[in-house]
Amino acid sequence: MSLRSEMIAAVGEDHVRDDVVNERAGLWITPGSAAEVAEVIRRANVLGVAVHPVGTGGHTEAPGRDRTERERVFVSTKRLDHVLQLDEQSLLVHAQVGITGLDLERILAPRGLSIGDYPPVVLTSSLGGIIAVRTPGKSSARHGFFEEAVVGVSAVLADGRTVHTRVAPRRSTGPDLARALCGSEGTIGFITSAVLRIHKKPEARLVAAYVLPSIDAAINAIYLALREEATPSGLRIYDTIEAGRHFDGLRLEPGEALLCAGTAGPTDLAACDRDLITSAVIAEGGRETDHALADLWWRRLHAGEPTPVAAPALQIMGTPTKLRAVYHAVVEEAARLGIAASAHISRFDPDGGLVFFTLGAEPHMIDVARIEQVAEAAGGWLLGARTTKLDGYLRALRAELDPRGIMNPGTLA
Amino acid sequence: MSRRDHTWYGLRVHAVADVDRLQRDLEAIFGPRRVSTRAVDLDTYSRDMWPRLLIAYRDGIGPGARPHAVVWPEHVREIVAVVKLAREHRIPIIPYGGGSGVCGGAVPILGGITIDMKRMQTLRSITRAELVCDVEAGLNGERFERELERRGYTFGHFPSSIYCSTVGGWLATRAAGQLSTKYGKVEDRVAGLTVVTGRGDIIETDGPTRALRGPNWTQLICGSEGTLGVITSARLRVNPAPQLRVFRGFEIEDIPAGLEAIRRVVQKGLRPAVVRLYDELDTLINSMSHKDPAETDHVLTPPVLGVETGALPAWPELQREERGFVDKLIGLAKGKGVRRGAMNFALGKSAMANKLFGVAEKVARRGCRMVIGLEGARIRTEVEAALTFAELEAAGAQDRGEDPGWAWLRHRYAVSYRMSPVFRDGAFVDTMEVASTWERLLDLYHSVREAIGRHALVMAHFSHAYADGCSIYFTFAGHAADTHAAERLYDAIWRDGMEATTRVGATISHHHGVGLLKAPYMAGEHREAMAIFEAAKHALDPDGVFNPGKMGLKR
Repeated sequence: MSLRSEMIAAVGEDHVRDDVVNERAGLWITPGSAAEVAEVIRRANVLGVAVHPVGTGGHTEAPGRDRTERERVFVSTKRLDHVLQLDEQSLLVHAQVGITGLDLERILAPRGLSIGDYPPVVLTSSLGGIIAVRTPGKSSARHGFFEEAVVGVSAVLADGRTVHTRVAPRRSTGPDLARALCGSEGTIGFITSAVLRIHKKPEARLVAAYVLPSIDAAINAIYLALREEATPSGLRIYDTIEAGRHFDGLRLEPGEALLCAGTAGPTDLAACDRDLITSAVIAEGGRETDHALADLWWRRLHAGEPTPVAAPALQIMGTPTKLRAVYHAVVEEAARLGIAASAHISRFDPDGGLVFFTLGAEPHMIDVARIEQVAEAAGGWLLGARTTKLDGYLRALRAELDPRGIMNPGTLA
Repeated sequence: MSRRDHTWYGLRVHAVADVDRLQRDLEAIFGPRRVSTRAVDLDTYSRDMWPRLLIAYRDGIGPGARPHAVVWPEHVREIVAVVKLAREHRIPIIPYGGGSGVCGGAVPILGGITIDMKRMQTLRSITRAELVCDVEAGLNGERFERELERRGYTFGHFPSSIYCSTVGGWLATRAAGQLSTKYGKVEDRVAGLTVVTGRGDIIETDGPTRALRGPNWTQLICGSEGTLGVITSARLRVNPAPQLRVFRGFEIEDIPAGLEAIRRVVQKGLRPAVVRLYDELDTLINSMSHKDPAETDHVLTPPVLGVETGALPAWPELQREERGFVDKLIGLAKGKGVRRGAMNFALGKSAMANKLFGVAEKVARRGCRMVIGLEGARIRTEVEAALTFAELEAAGAQDRGEDPGWAWLRHRYAVSYRMSPVFRDGAFVDTMEVASTWERLLDLYHSVREAIGRHALVMAHFSHAYADGCSIYFTFAGHAADTHAAERLYDAIWRDGMEATTRVGATISHHHGVGLLKAPYMAGEHREAMAIFEAAKHALDPDGVFNPGKMGLKR
């Protein structure tokens, strides 16, 4: 049988087509169940055909370059978009991976539930993309890195076997096999569904805005408050330039920074967390400012109100000790290149935060590689960069599970 | 040449090694003083604290397996060298921390080289701004915590084995401390690991998780119990030392009401450090171990059947006919204070055990005990405590004041040291810690209690609560005529308990790990997903030298 007829046998004629999507030409398969995914992969494995998983959100990238130039199929999770089970007692949802975070959120909302305070831009991706591909933006000050919400996954291995990791709040029965599949970008298994921790809508949400004498003071204030165990639902620092740009007419003194903070939870606790942040700000020489700024920030972040600025040119992740260095290094290097750089810092979690730089020049005029180099030298982590130190082990792991190398070849290689 | 052939826990063992040569080779790496092949050392490292081994040990039966040699590395490069040696000679390596494991994870079933990590015990640094410390794996838990405390931090990890376990052992088993509801289990606190793998490489898994692409190696290695390599140091998250501690005892009608109250608290986003709910029998036995000394017939600290001491009820009013059973229970609770025969009679009859349980439920009609504690930064802890207590009262729990809470805190490590009287009297005691989501927690409780109750006296408390579920800690005590009968009974209890756990969809271990004890049940726990663990084993330890025969791995 040809590849095409094998795939038709697996999912039916209506769900196999030749297509070019985002410059990806080939056979596109849209299985309608986990069992069909297993069937597609089992048949692809027999034929030695590469399987590239494709999510349904807006962030799909071209697959990595597969040097073997073999035949390949793109397997879309578009039809795997069902909520399989909602356990309101344990606050867990079991959903197929083709559903986008926002669609899931729409299903949870009427029941007073939510995936959590993750940036909505993250939730435009499908669940599969959110958990299979790590990017530093998928984090929330209140709930941590998205992956920590994954309690279990179901996935298909290269030989067509389906695995379901056991769902338990915590366990001590060997490695966390679900976490081994998270972030592995479809190279170890094709994730078909995931069990996620969800949250009750908080009783209260509070926001506040502060002006601090410098970016450094703002970063210090945040970590001071976190040391006092404040658990904010959102934090963002704007430098002087970005504060003016994001909030029309806001004029800060040169060097000053704007900090917006949100807290959530039982009313008393939300108020307590807000007060802890306020006192940290005061300790760092700052002051509370117009509440309307914070309201606007939150509405833009979570209520879809448009932000009047272009997307940032550069995202650099920094650990708490490196955030300042990363910020200053990039701004200074840009100045040396004759470019005005500005930034806001957001997506804080225990690992650190994410610095979003905007560069005041046309993209083609900028030596981005040079700036990235400087950021990296200052201790920053580039978006999508990866360490290669454990590649030998990943290769060995893949060779064990996928001897024919069909699982998203070219990725993480 | 020494050659040993015997059957060990169902495995046919065949180990051959040229011990003299092995000793020479090891001395070339470690020098003469940090290698031992002396019988007394080999015996010592033949076991951990797995109760099944203690039964034989008590009855004077020698260890079924010993290592060929024990070494005490002081530097990672020595471990690299010993892995190289082990691969050349195809000799197993067994990483060894405090030896406090209760599942036989450190038992050298095929002999080999036991690596005692306790000489690698430096707390190298604490990065204040990141709240991360860098610590060597062999550091004793209590010394680690004390060292952190001295500098104004806490790791927040307080297992009852804290005096006799190591940081590396915690990481290797995914251990939990008693305050895990606030601080998380140990795997939630790892920023990076340094590991010598079965290939003899030193790897580091550090880096912000969210910025690293590819599988999560830290989470793949945590919990591997020395089957993939040996953890030599770790970067762990610490908290500022708590400024305030609030502990309180509560009482609530029954188990379902208590669980509902706890669930409401944790799902509200409140994070008490510890929440414990004792079932009726656990509550009762607790009460007897803590009776006012003036009322007891002797004032020696009573050894308790493996239960942590906790909030204390007044002595319940009893019907006259119930007194007899309850006296036996008191005897159990006091271990020493009752005649051996009476206790063994009670333990030997599961029908009796069940009856005792029925009585306990009757006499403890007043409810189940809860202990709840919060700690942390002053202001936030105060607010959180007020909200937590209000929520518990709204759920029907009655405040019993601070004393029961502090009593629990004072005695919280005692459990690990109270097993010997029971063993001395010819019985055995062990604990089974399973966990599930809230939805099936009561199913888990009833089915495991029933499964163990067929064979032994069983009681339980619920601890380690999370927003999505909770762990149940069963304590059981049994007795049989002789060593083999006791081992058979012990195995039957675990078989039935584990199968009952798997059947309701819960996990077979919350924090004790797998080792040899739960290895036969790993297939039921993970089913097809074991393939990923097996693949990781092949990838990290291609020659299978690390801790063979454990965790249900094929090699």
